[in-house]
Amino acid sequence: MSSYRCVFLMGVEQALEYRVSFFLSMLSAVFPIIIQTTMWNYLYGHSDAAAVFGYQQGEILLYTLLATIVSQLVGTGFEWEMNSDIKMGGLNKYLIRPVGYKGYQFFRFLGQKVPRLMVIGPVMTVIIGAAFWQGLPVSLGRILAFLGSLILGVLLNFSIFYCIGLLAFWLTDVDKLFGTISIVLTVFSGGVFPLDIFGGVVEILVNLAPFGYTTQFPVNIINGRFGWERMGMGFAFQTGWILVFVCLGEAMWRRGVRRYAAVGG
Amino acid sequence: MRKFTRYFKLVGVLAKYSLMSALEYRINFITGMTVEMGWMIIKLLYVAIIYKAGTSIGILTPDHILLFVGTYVLMTGIYMLYFGNFCSIPGMVQQGELDLYLVKPVSLQFLVTMRRIEFAFLLPNLVAGVSMIVTGWRLAGLPVGLVPIAGFLFYLACGCLLTYSLFLLPYILGFWIISVGGISDISAALWDFNNMPSMIYGKRFRQIGTYILPVFVITNFPGLFLMGELSPFACIWGAGAPVLFFVLSRAFWKVSMKRYSSASS
Repeated sequence: MSSYRCVFLMGVEQALEYRVSFFLSMLSAVFPIIIQTTMWNYLYGHSDAAAVFGYQQGEILLYTLLATIVSQLVGTGFEWEMNSDIKMGGLNKYLIRPVGYKGYQFFRFLGQKVPRLMVIGPVMTVIIGAAFWQGLPVSLGRILAFLGSLILGVLLNFSIFYCIGLLAFWLTDVDKLFGTISIVLTVFSGGVFPLDIFGGVVEILVNLAPFGYTTQFPVNIINGRFGWERMGMGFAFQTGWILVFVCLGEAMWRRGVRRYAAVGG
Repeated sequence: MRKFTRYFKLVGVLAKYSLMSALEYRINFITGMTVEMGWMIIKLLYVAIIYKAGTSIGILTPDHILLFVGTYVLMTGIYMLYFGNFCSIPGMVQQGELDLYLVKPVSLQFLVTMRRIEFAFLLPNLVAGVSMIVTGWRLAGLPVGLVPIAGFLFYLACGCLLTYSLFLLPYILGFWIISVGGISDISAALWDFNNMPSMIYGKRFRQIGTYILPVFVITNFPGLFLMGELSPFACIWGAGAPVLFFVLSRAFWKVSMKRYSSASS
């Protein structure tokens, strides 16, 4: 366990390596929030948007603010390194070390989230406090449920992207494919807009597919859209999808390692 | 004029070389296109929301907005043609790769920023952008004639020069600092302000985006010209800002080049 602790601390250090870049990167997340809040305020001020989209103005604004933050927290990036390890032979060093490759990636991923959490945590607290002040149904139970779903969301997104990273065992050039998958999944997770505003088939698909449980589900808990029954069902889906992707990851790893040709001297 | 013709021919040669290289790695070309399609989904979501709400933004009906977002999509495609070259500037500075280009008998800035042209990123944006512009133009009942079309194309061309000049500035900082990841995120977020027409933002914000950091000039002026909504001063600014920012970026490049220290042995 101490080796994973070291990996975790290494992740924290890596995230803080270029501090100016880190803070500018965090700042860039504010811009889409400005665009979207301006748009929603305009639409809600000039039309019956609540009836069209099924969200009250407070709910959609809280969604816009929190979805960007939650996307930052659950977001990955280790899949590029997995691709490089598999393609360039960097995986060798993990195969002979007394640490599991998945454990290594997981704890480093968690470590890299710590500085981000230190910035995001207080911001999120202020936003949730303001939402409570504005009369949204924020309660202690909801906050705990939100935090629980957020932790599960991080686990789920890690498991999904771990499987995506393992595709490098079979595909020759996955760099750009990762880019595509990452963008598409950001959209399908509700990281840009809540997709249930489009209703019908889109809403059903979002509820069934795993991606919405990384971002849209936690945010809809805290903004008061989901009742306790819907939350319970969501938690069951989240846990179920985590199990599916953990098993899939294990199976892919076992098969992939058998295909792996260790390059390098 | 001879110099201009020479550089124009050089762009042709570099484009031909890039196209040949793209056709050599066809899977790369296709995956590159899918990345852009992923981003396009996000842009189309904004249009879908406006149409679903059915609201006008000031004098802009949803059809006008389709034209504006189409212009943004098309301009994104043109920007993406050489965007990869901007991203590689910091790496080239750090690893001393500029040495190789310094000895060539052409402008270093031109060669570094135009050496690779990414057609894969242009294609989906070109098709979608032009389709949206034509559809929006027709549905909004905007005038079709020599003057409107020539004016629209003129401001598109001005927008191209302004995009190049304005968005090169943050990457030139690569001569001064090591990691420009954060700056890159900020400039990408700045570009995304064009997801919506500038009219959606407040007056002060619009003025900043038009006259100080003129991102709104790039995608809003062609459409506003068509609608006859550009004041005489705005018409002049739309043509002058690209020249002003080109001169600025050129001067900043020259100053920054003085910091470059060759990395050869």
